[in-house]
Amino acid sequence: MVFSRFVEVGRVVLITYGPDAGKLAVVVDIIDHSRVIVDGPTTGVARQAISFKRATLTDLTISIPRTIGTPALKAQIEKQDLLGRWSKTAWAQKIAKREARAKLTDLDRFKLMVARKQRRAIVGKALGKIRKSK
Amino acid sequence: MRSIIQENDIPIPEGVTVDVKARLVRVKGPRGQLVKDFKHVNMEILRLSKSKLKIKVWHGGRKHNACIRTISSHIENMITGVTKGFEYKMRFVYAHFPINVNIISDGAEVEIRNFLGEKQIRRIKMLNGVKIDHSTAQKDEIILTGNDIDNVSQSAASIQQSTTVRNKDIRKFLDGIYVSEKGLLVKD
Repeated sequence: MVFSRFVEVGRVVLITYGPDAGKLAVVVDIIDHSRVIVDGPTTGVARQAISFKRATLTDLTISIPRTIGTPALKAQIEKQDLLGRWSKTAWAQKIAKREARAKLTDLDRFKLMVARKQRRAIVGKALGKIRKSK
Repeated sequence: MRSIIQENDIPIPEGVTVDVKARLVRVKGPRGQLVKDFKHVNMEILRLSKSKLKIKVWHGGRKHNACIRTISSHIENMITGVTKGFEYKMRFVYAHFPINVNIISDGAEVEIRNFLGEKQIRRIKMLNGVKIDHSTAQKDEIILTGNDIDNVSQSAASIQQSTTVRNKDIRKFLDGIYVSEKGLLVKD
């Protein structure tokens, strides 16, 4: 297998375990083979050392110098539109869908059921027309 | 302690195409094609360009890094096998009983008779892609040729090991067929 997500200064990671689980952060410095210093001023992650067991690498990187300070990092994140790029990825959209579905109330689920029925009716009618014409 | 990355470059000469997918390496050249599967080693084998192959090991310990050079050597042997070919020469050594070697099925099988006067006929099948012939220039010599160095050298070893002396002092009874020269087929 060929590797494409490298641990480097500027690699964006998604924290998967711990108090900051689910948040994005940027690798600011590398400690050793298993730990990095990570910072996420725009997503609420304090500057800290984190193990790779608690995070996954994403495909995104931003271009920053090593050990950049937190306010300068925040400026670079906003300038390079990291959160915008993240929200466009399929990964982020799947997470958003999952969260939206989990927040549904009973009424929401009812509305969803009705909407799916209506869509099924429209699709079924069009399908029936095509079958008849064949 | 583990190194971050260790890598090795292999140059691919003109006339040879190397195709790598999921550690299965296919080398094509003027003398034919060789395929080798390196899935038993965890390594990145990448073809960077038509003339360069790169092997990378991330995060490797001592023994893992050592595999880089062995895999490179395997691939380099495939490349020379497919361009120049390998030739192993074997000489018959006997004191009294002349070793009689017959080559049957068009260079794919060997029969060895009269080794040390024994009645047993030793039959050795050559591995895939290996051809065997009597030498024309030298008496009591056979030449094995092929593209895959593993097959050629294993066939030679099978012949050598089939002519071992038993129940005798091997310092005195030196009879056998021994590999005398390991080289390339196309010499330049």
